[in-house]
Amino acid sequence: MKVDLRVRRFNPEKDQKPWWGEYTLEKVRATDTVLDLLHRIKWEQDGTLTLRRSCAHGVCGSDALRINGANMLACKTLVTRLTKDNNYARIQVEPILGMQIIKDLVVDMEPFFDHYRSVMPYFVNDNPLPANGRERLQSQEDRARFDDTTKCILCAACTSSCPSFWANEKYIGPAAIVQAHRFIFDTRDEAFEERLEVVGDTFGVWRCRTNFNCSNACPREIEVTRAIAEVKMALTTGKI
Amino acid sequence: MAAATSSQKITVRKFQVHSNFERFAYLFMRMSGVGLLILAVGHMLIQHVLNSSANLTIEFVAAQWNSWGWKVYDILLLWLAIPHGINGLRNILEDYIHNPTTVKLINRLLALFVVATVIWATIGMALFDASKFQ
Repeated sequence: MKVDLRVRRFNPEKDQKPWWGEYTLEKVRATDTVLDLLHRIKWEQDGTLTLRRSCAHGVCGSDALRINGANMLACKTLVTRLTKDNNYARIQVEPILGMQIIKDLVVDMEPFFDHYRSVMPYFVNDNPLPANGRERLQSQEDRARFDDTTKCILCAACTSSCPSFWANEKYIGPAAIVQAHRFIFDTRDEAFEERLEVVGDTFGVWRCRTNFNCSNACPREIEVTRAIAEVKMALTTGKI
Repeated sequence: MAAATSSQKITVRKFQVHSNFERFAYLFMRMSGVGLLILAVGHMLIQHVLNSSANLTIEFVAAQWNSWGWKVYDILLLWLAIPHGINGLRNILEDYIHNPTTVKLINRLLALFVVATVIWATIGMALFDASKFQ
């Protein structure tokens, strides 16, 4: 297969504004991912192309990119998924939106992680352990309530696909709300009131306009909009 | 031990909600939305489907507002529609305007517009004398 790739490039030391790099790749295999193509550009055509990736298997969440206008993990996106033609594909790759570009496809994730940290994304329970010294137990039904939101890999595909976040980076964003949900609905955790205060703030869940971009973008298929709705419902009823 | 039903196994915890304006606005939009679905769709059906749009004259309105039932219907529609629409506009404007001083000024102007329009139109409808147009 032949692939024409358009990649958004920007080197802050040289460029006034971002530009499109055009690359043609031959002999692309049906099993190749977009990350494989970016590797080929970097290794065979232009070593200055800068991108972020680590595990390359959809687990670490470091290569979320805007591919053909939609947020995806480059390592999980097969080229064949982006074309109906068996012999040709045209693919456009950009950095995720709403964050400052450091170079080419690499963005500054610090504001994203600031929001993440604001919801206290860790287990809080200062009570003594059960008398037998073993783990704190909960029913399977209680565990199931936050099962979906444990799957987040912090790739930022959801937050950077959200128009409310594009409009105002103070909005805490879907990923931070998913992380808050994971602990708020965990019966073993005791800091739910502090977390609900953060996500119930002016720049919290109320900024969500329920347009489902986040659910569509999530590479782990987390029902992000549902999680946000559950947090809104908790803040509305005073019950979790 | 007898198996508990799944609803018995889910732990429900309660907490004190700290309300703020955004929470209130969110709840208002949902509840007024349900009200508007009934009142606005009913209004459109009555004015444009059951009656012809061509007959929407002051005499037609006067005949309706001769009854307090219709006056209350339209006043309720006004009370829900104006704040609902203007709050939607506030949300959109806040997506584009980030200067806190400008946002505060715009929000105050919008609030003034809502209060003035609702009071003015409520007085207008409540005191409307249908006999002058019949």
